[in-house]
Amino acid sequence: MKKVVLVLFCLIFTAFVANNKLFSVPDNWPQPVYNFSNNPLSENKILLGRMLFYDPILSRNNIISCASCHSPFSAFTHIDHALSHGINDSIGTRNSPALMNLAWQKSFMWDGAINNLDMQALAPITHTAEMGSSINAVVDKLNASAMYHELFFKAFGDSVATGEKTLKAISQFMITLISSNSKYDKVIRKEVAFTEQEASGYKLFQKNCSSCHNEPLFTTTDFANNGLAVDTTLNDIGRMKITLNPNDSLKFKIPTLRNIEYSYPYMHDGRFKRLSEVVNHYTSGITVTPTLAKELQHPIILTASEKVDVVAFLLTLTDQSFVFNPKFQYPKEVFFGKGER
Amino acid sequence: MITTLKFYISQMQFLFDNKVVYTEHNSYHLIDASAPETMLLSQFSDKAIHYNAIQFQLGIDSLTNVAGAMGGDLDPTKGMYWTWQSGYINFKLEGTSTNCPARNHEFQFHLGGYQAPFNALQTIILKTTTKQTIKIYFDIEKYIKGLDLAKHFSVMSPNQEAVSFSKKIAESFYTE
Repeated sequence: MKKVVLVLFCLIFTAFVANNKLFSVPDNWPQPVYNFSNNPLSENKILLGRMLFYDPILSRNNIISCASCHSPFSAFTHIDHALSHGINDSIGTRNSPALMNLAWQKSFMWDGAINNLDMQALAPITHTAEMGSSINAVVDKLNASAMYHELFFKAFGDSVATGEKTLKAISQFMITLISSNSKYDKVIRKEVAFTEQEASGYKLFQKNCSSCHNEPLFTTTDFANNGLAVDTTLNDIGRMKITLNPNDSLKFKIPTLRNIEYSYPYMHDGRFKRLSEVVNHYTSGITVTPTLAKELQHPIILTASEKVDVVAFLLTLTDQSFVFNPKFQYPKEVFFGKGER
Repeated sequence: MITTLKFYISQMQFLFDNKVVYTEHNSYHLIDASAPETMLLSQFSDKAIHYNAIQFQLGIDSLTNVAGAMGGDLDPTKGMYWTWQSGYINFKLEGTSTNCPARNHEFQFHLGGYQAPFNALQTIILKTTTKQTIKIYFDIEKYIKGLDLAKHFSVMSPNQEAVSFSKKIAESFYTE
């Protein structure tokens, strides 16, 4: 009888350690919104998701992968492209967002069109200017691949791919993309200190920016009209496209500012190439429309040197250990270690 | 001519004098007119039940709509999930009619939406008697005859039209 109890104890202990290793909430962060009980993390599911994330098999012509527009070295966005760039050199209508800390996000896309991380990948897989395929075509291709038979079997105990399993695996990889080790985080943890300039920028940031880009995620994950003049070549109404509610006109998802050094260009249409342009927009570029965020109704006033301080602070949100984390990179050992698909 | 007719039936219950006497667990069924085997739904109860009404929902409830990836009849490969905006398509009807001014005279009704004010989910209660097999009819002709295909021939997103069409469809179900 004693023996049985001992074995049980060991199992619980192992499960706890394994879970802790795969996902942990950084100190002083809120609880994530993603429902892990519907999709419990495992190492093999995360690996399958990472393979799918980097595999152009998801696109109609086997050329575009998730990573095409969400590359690790740019904090999982597509730098130098104002608007996303997809299959057959198609150009989309919005700037591909940087991917990180997704387990804390309530909705996805600039307009919140997607209500659950699991369902996010369906949109780019299907969009004619992104991957131009369908989840059915993807599942058929995966089921024809010996390599994926093995990966699905290891992940789910069943080698048959389904839409559900494919999407849940991609979610698992994306959930692991946590950025919480920037200089800012180290300052908060009292491991290092800000320079004088960064400290001044942090104070200005807290006064002028943090009601929408609130710590520690640097976004409320809500929607706001930040006073961008409408680009008449796009006429993007933002959140209103989803809710059909005029009160949501010109509101877009508030993006995180973490790793902003890497994720240029900025805004939903990628109109600003430099952080200085972004800061100048908030001090002197606001276009007033009925849905303008209340925080921007009165101009933000910053001197030239204060603007530089704010940018210096924003650069402390750069997390090199995130961008270069070997667990997030192209899984070449699996792609090339297995031979033919 | 109808080319596609697919819809979800969910949360099936049997009632006796408005009291629930049986609830199907995990009750999500995709009915596909091109696949007759999907039209027979078997229910099993381990005790004898008496009922005089059957209740079900036409479509998928809001909690399931936000719950992430699902399998079986709810798998997105079933073609009943919107990709550009999250949410299940509760009811899909496609076909052609000479009355319809669209390209190739094609009409397409993809009805769904789970968020107020455009929640398209419909609850249907039909009177019946306790018996081995309940036949439920959906009078597609009644629904299509009530449509003005010259004016309304395409609904592909959650909106007011999707809600009002869903209500009319719910009225086209009956038992013998």
